[in-house]
Amino acid sequence: MDIFLQQVVNGLIIGSIYALVALGYTMVYGVMKLINFAHGDLVALSAYIGLMFYTQLIGLGVLPQPLVVVSVFVLTAIVAAAVALLVERVAYRPLRNAPRLSAVVSALGASMMIQNGIMLIWGPNITIFPSDILPAVSWTIYGITITFVQAAMIIITLVLMISLTLFINYTKMGTAIRASAINQDVAKLMGINVNMIIMIIFIVGAVLGSVGGLFIGMYYRGISFNLGWVYGLNAFIAAILGGIGNIPGSMVGGYMLGLFTALIAGYVSSSWAEAFTFILLILILIVRPTGILGERVAEKV
Amino acid sequence: MKNKSFIGYAVLFAFLALFPITNDPRWLTVVTTFCIYSVVALSLDIVLGRAGMFDMGHALFFGMGAYITAIMNVHFGLNILTALPLVIIIPALFAIVLSTPIVHLRGDYLLVATIGMNIVFEQALKNDLLGLTGGPNGIFGLDATVFGFYLDDGITIYYIAFFLLLLTLLLIRNLEKSKVGRALHYVQEDPIAAESLGISTRFYRVFSFALGAALAGLAGFVFSIQYAAVSPEAFNFMTSVIFFAIVLVGGKASIPGILAGTFIMFVLPEIFREFATARYFVFGLAMVVSMVLRPEGMLPAKYGKLPKYVTED
Repeated sequence: MDIFLQQVVNGLIIGSIYALVALGYTMVYGVMKLINFAHGDLVALSAYIGLMFYTQLIGLGVLPQPLVVVSVFVLTAIVAAAVALLVERVAYRPLRNAPRLSAVVSALGASMMIQNGIMLIWGPNITIFPSDILPAVSWTIYGITITFVQAAMIIITLVLMISLTLFINYTKMGTAIRASAINQDVAKLMGINVNMIIMIIFIVGAVLGSVGGLFIGMYYRGISFNLGWVYGLNAFIAAILGGIGNIPGSMVGGYMLGLFTALIAGYVSSSWAEAFTFILLILILIVRPTGILGERVAEKV
Repeated sequence: MKNKSFIGYAVLFAFLALFPITNDPRWLTVVTTFCIYSVVALSLDIVLGRAGMFDMGHALFFGMGAYITAIMNVHFGLNILTALPLVIIIPALFAIVLSTPIVHLRGDYLLVATIGMNIVFEQALKNDLLGLTGGPNGIFGLDATVFGFYLDDGITIYYIAFFLLLLTLLLIRNLEKSKVGRALHYVQEDPIAAESLGISTRFYRVFSFALGAALAGLAGFVFSIQYAAVSPEAFNFMTSVIFFAIVLVGGKASIPGILAGTFIMFVLPEIFREFATARYFVFGLAMVVSMVLRPEGMLPAKYGKLPKYVTED
């Protein structure tokens, strides 16, 4: 029973990361109907950039530790948002009216550029995060151990998700985003600046993804240039499981996939974990192609 | 127009047929690989370009052909030729079984499902499935002796690959002119209209997967003979992405486009070897730039003159 509960906690941690990253995929897909393959690599880039800021700020030695951590999160989010906007402007905007597959190839190209850019700058080996970024406190409740990092991850993710839900549902900008997701042309006629909406969803997605990237670094400690594809694909699956384009769906999908992978790794085999994930995905696609919370879309054939 | 493309093909075939005269082993290997990869790209094009199914896991069938050859030859000690029928039939059967439940999915979902199949395949290879696939190192030491001839000799394997490319081009030319080719084109352009005329979209979509898989399996057969070894890295998701990019960068359903795409993605990097570490960075850049400049591909296929409202989505 203890192992089970421990795996559930692990699942919630991985699920938080998946959910944060999945939101970036789902929002872009919702408005642009484009799989933003570069998003996963942006997450990886955030982890590297964050580590760079952290070493620089600690080296300065001016700020106290908690303030350093907060500034690392803020600075990384700003850089990630800037890169996301650049990718959108260069690789996606010129293809907005092109055939769908051309945009997919452009997205894959952008993804490969970021991934290999990371490799060329920081090298192909695993980079290690320092272990003393957050205090090494841990609590034991009913036989389950929760570290400070884990608790922080779960709480910050929940706070971000609640804020995002409030932002999407109760602000004017959120309404504009939902309108653009339903029909861009009509949204334009209603005076919504769709270009700006697209830039905003890229910014929001990048900010959430950068938090996810920093969590990966702080929790797993070792980061490598290709982690974007690993987490990106899983997060993307999470988005599909929940119903892509659907924001609460991504959150549910992220936690579900996290629990599923943790239980598979705990009880079956970790070397087959990815295969099980994809088999689950294919089964869900066969049974319910629009995901668990996705709306039923009338299929053409 | 027809004459121009005829001369183009004649020049290309003459060049390829006479290429071994240069007697340069390194370039012979490169051009052999070019022929094999062209066949894989053309087989993916049947699914992606002609049937319009977003298949981003085609390396699965390519790898299946290569691994069947290696397993038959190394583990069961059979002659390499005995694998020949199997590398066509087994990938085709797998394609039918795997694609039947998913061909009705909307484009992006199909894309992810095929990525998934490729990754499941890769993990099965790496985890040494049934003790046959040899784990992360793959299988070494294929013995390609047939009636006293060594098929893995540089020039022999080159001509086998070249012959396979010719065969593939002939097959695709016939496909284009046949009922099946027209049906595939129709199914891609407008599935509802095709259904209403009695063309089974499901049948032709599955058919395109089976045909593409069989050709890719055959290419895998030649590939495994060329290197006398197979390993999971050669058939991972990344390989599928590159083939996917070749078809779209070159131009869907366009044979010259796909040959040019394969040339750019596989032969040009050989010329600029000093940038080997930045290779995928340059690939990525090339993919973005070529799509932004030519969203329809470098050499898009031409289908006669249709009014614009017909061809637009």
